[in-house]
Amino acid sequence: MKNVRRGVAFVAITAASAAALSACGSGKSNGDSGDGLIVGTTDKVVSIDPAGAYDNGSMIVQTQVYQYLLNFQAGSTDLSPDAAESCDFDADDGTKYVCKIKPGLKFANGNDLTASDVAFSFKRIVAINDPNGPASLLGAMKSVEATDDQTVTFTLAAPNDQTFPQILVTSAGPIVDEDTYPADKVLDDDSAVEANGFSGPYTIASYEKNQLAEFKANPDYDGTYGTAKSKTVTMKYYAKAENLKLDVQNGDIDVAFRSLTPTDIASLEKNDKVTVHKGAGGELRYMVFNLNTMPGDNPDQKLAIRKAVASSLDRDAIAESVYKGTYTPAYSMVPDGQAGATEPFKDLYGEKPDKAKAEGFLKDAGVATPVDIKLQYNPDHYGSSSAEEYAAVKRQLEDTGLFKVDLQSTEWNTYSETYNADGYPVFQLGWFPDFPDADNYLSPFLTPYDDKQSGNFTNSHYNELGTDFQDDEMTKLLDSERVDGDQASREATLGKIQQRLAEQIPYLPLLTGAQVAIAGNDVKGVDTTLDASFKFRFTSLSK
Amino acid sequence: MTAEVLAPTEPPAADPARKRGGLNPLARYLLVRLALLIPMIWLLVTLVFLMMRVIGDPIQAALGGRLPADQIAERKAAAGLDRPILTQYWEYLTGILRGDFGVTLTDNRDVSDILVVNGAATLELAFWSLLVAFAVGIPLGRLAARYRDRLPDVALRLFSILVYAAPVFFVGLLLKLAFTPFGWPSSGRASTGTELTLQQVEPHTHIMIVDAILWGEPSLIWDVLQHAMLPAIALGLLTGGVFIRLVRVNLLQTLRMDYVTAARARGVSERRVLSKHAFRNALVPVVTVMGMQIAMLLGGAILTETTFEWKGLGYALAEYLIKRDFLAVQGIVTVIALIVGIMSFLIDMIVALVDPRVRF
Repeated sequence: MKNVRRGVAFVAITAASAAALSACGSGKSNGDSGDGLIVGTTDKVVSIDPAGAYDNGSMIVQTQVYQYLLNFQAGSTDLSPDAAESCDFDADDGTKYVCKIKPGLKFANGNDLTASDVAFSFKRIVAINDPNGPASLLGAMKSVEATDDQTVTFTLAAPNDQTFPQILVTSAGPIVDEDTYPADKVLDDDSAVEANGFSGPYTIASYEKNQLAEFKANPDYDGTYGTAKSKTVTMKYYAKAENLKLDVQNGDIDVAFRSLTPTDIASLEKNDKVTVHKGAGGELRYMVFNLNTMPGDNPDQKLAIRKAVASSLDRDAIAESVYKGTYTPAYSMVPDGQAGATEPFKDLYGEKPDKAKAEGFLKDAGVATPVDIKLQYNPDHYGSSSAEEYAAVKRQLEDTGLFKVDLQSTEWNTYSETYNADGYPVFQLGWFPDFPDADNYLSPFLTPYDDKQSGNFTNSHYNELGTDFQDDEMTKLLDSERVDGDQASREATLGKIQQRLAEQIPYLPLLTGAQVAIAGNDVKGVDTTLDASFKFRFTSLSK
Repeated sequence: MTAEVLAPTEPPAADPARKRGGLNPLARYLLVRLALLIPMIWLLVTLVFLMMRVIGDPIQAALGGRLPADQIAERKAAAGLDRPILTQYWEYLTGILRGDFGVTLTDNRDVSDILVVNGAATLELAFWSLLVAFAVGIPLGRLAARYRDRLPDVALRLFSILVYAAPVFFVGLLLKLAFTPFGWPSSGRASTGTELTLQQVEPHTHIMIVDAILWGEPSLIWDVLQHAMLPAIALGLLTGGVFIRLVRVNLLQTLRMDYVTAARARGVSERRVLSKHAFRNALVPVVTVMGMQIAMLLGGAILTETTFEWKGLGYALAEYLIKRDFLAVQGIVTVIALIVGIMSFLIDMIVALVDPRVRF
């Protein structure tokens, strides 16, 4: 009995202490960290080391702590020098891209940042070739060398490759400290934090992987983003969007960036304490037709079926009913807002379902109706609303009476293997660009298959496995726009590519998504960072 | 679980004749249990290893579809997965002995680091939950026994069934809905500021309440306690429901024993009979069952930790399962199996200490 009494006494003492402490504390006494900001996300960090990561969660950290040769200024998609003083194609040899590094740059650990560090950073990404890393982005780079302390020279596979400067701003572009990062393996996060080989606007003051990371402004930073408006920013990682939503609406965090559900966003739009910020969209949701296994007895019938599907969809209805306006209709693989974007799907197949047109396509090609379509989507990689989205697609197609849709879903790991192996005739995919350029929405999908580009969402069934489809003209157009330094003529070529794609429809663009962040009303600078560069910069944020 | 659930019986008289070979019966009992612990743990880790191999090749599972076949083969070779299964098994066992559980495939993290950081969180949650389970289960079980078949008993039996049967994530969600409107923290192990402060504590135990006590700031301790309350209640009620019924049944059985009747006949007050004579004996099976409840707590922790963003082993297990990182899963499941095995042994020890029938 004594023991029980002791137990009861312990509980009572704990409760009493808690009550007493409650009186001392002020409830959320430590809910914020001084003058700093707290940003919450459901994204996860795979690796702080650029060689081991090619994902949104890692990119947010890298954007804050590393310098790049070039970078985007807030609100602009024009490249500005960051660690570089200047970068340009060699006038005599277009395959050489030469960057001059600013003198006197240093990493936060005191080591000098030189051209040798830059060359080292790119070489090790290629050498390590980590499955989670961005090595595939550097396919256009044949080699890189530090010509002297301040000069680095890239040798490219094609002369005047206009996309290469943009690649320097992607996950492949962060500059790491040669003295603290190994050349042959990915540095683990704790060692990276300890090494302090950061020269970006922030350094990492404390770090618990995928739990909490505290960023302190780097006083020695000399780059595109300028002086950080907040001296301290803390990143808090969540497993569940509902907890992220609760914390931002309760004021426990200042900003929630990626990824709340459309329903949560719609609900927060009615909340007076927070503001829903929407920025330029870059994410693309689309359907893929496997040209081998899709319905249809011959290429003409298959094309007719694709055209009939394109004529039967109401993207606007899906955007509103499923995504509450957080996505908008996409009528090209290149989303509206990108330089060179056009809307050929709207012109060719209309904005609203057109049954007569769809029926005409099928009839002309002698396709018997209803056409049986096995449609696959993935419920765990492109957001929880995919189920609703594809239920709507099925409903719209069947409403025409021309299709009978067998809708099925598969979790991501199996899904990603199966679609690559010709497993699905018609299926869902999504795309988040590496850099804000129309080419990044076209080349990865349409260039002839190359095994070095695996992992870059190369549509392998489209080109690799011996389908009859081989569009040499498309390849020529892509090769031409990539090296065209004249913006007007490049945009004209991009228009032709989009038109050609819409006529053939190996892919059917559906929706494009805005970047969304929810912030307390006292937080400033959120709109500035939600720009078309797709880089979430802590330097812009303050309160 | 090796502990036996013993129904209350008459306390046995000590029998010196049963002592053999000069070895203390308690020491002999513990030695036997310790000897049994080793094959049990071996069996558990072997089962984990085999299960992970049955579900397929971990490299293919984590990286399939993202790398060409030749690179997958390269990585399999680097991880030793192309070697004979017995060689892999031997490396797995020796790795465990060295505390080396490998590196995760999806985020290049030492599994042993996850076990330390997230394991501390789970340990803390298990502690708070057991505290809730005891605080709820023991007094309410006693109350139910005292008012047998009357309204409080019926209500408490219903309550125990309800909290035992309700899914832990559902209870968690209800608690969040009930408490968050009043500003009570609904997720995480502490407020952001507290967590940042406690990261500076040396030595950093990763057990928030210990770190907060080491830091010595009352408001931080209160913040940690506040954050622990809802997840501890959600998970603790699950076990508390079992304890209510267990204490009630055992107390009722004990009250029917001859020695209790004798105590009453001697004129001992009913209150003293209950508290002094019956209650302690009725608690022995509770201690025994506690061993089994630890396994249940760890299972429940997966859902509780995910619901409340409590970044423990259950949370990590769920994350890596989703990513199909079976090397991480293998390490975490192995450690959970080890914890259950060792806790089972410790419970056996405690039972042997408090109940002489076990060791004689």
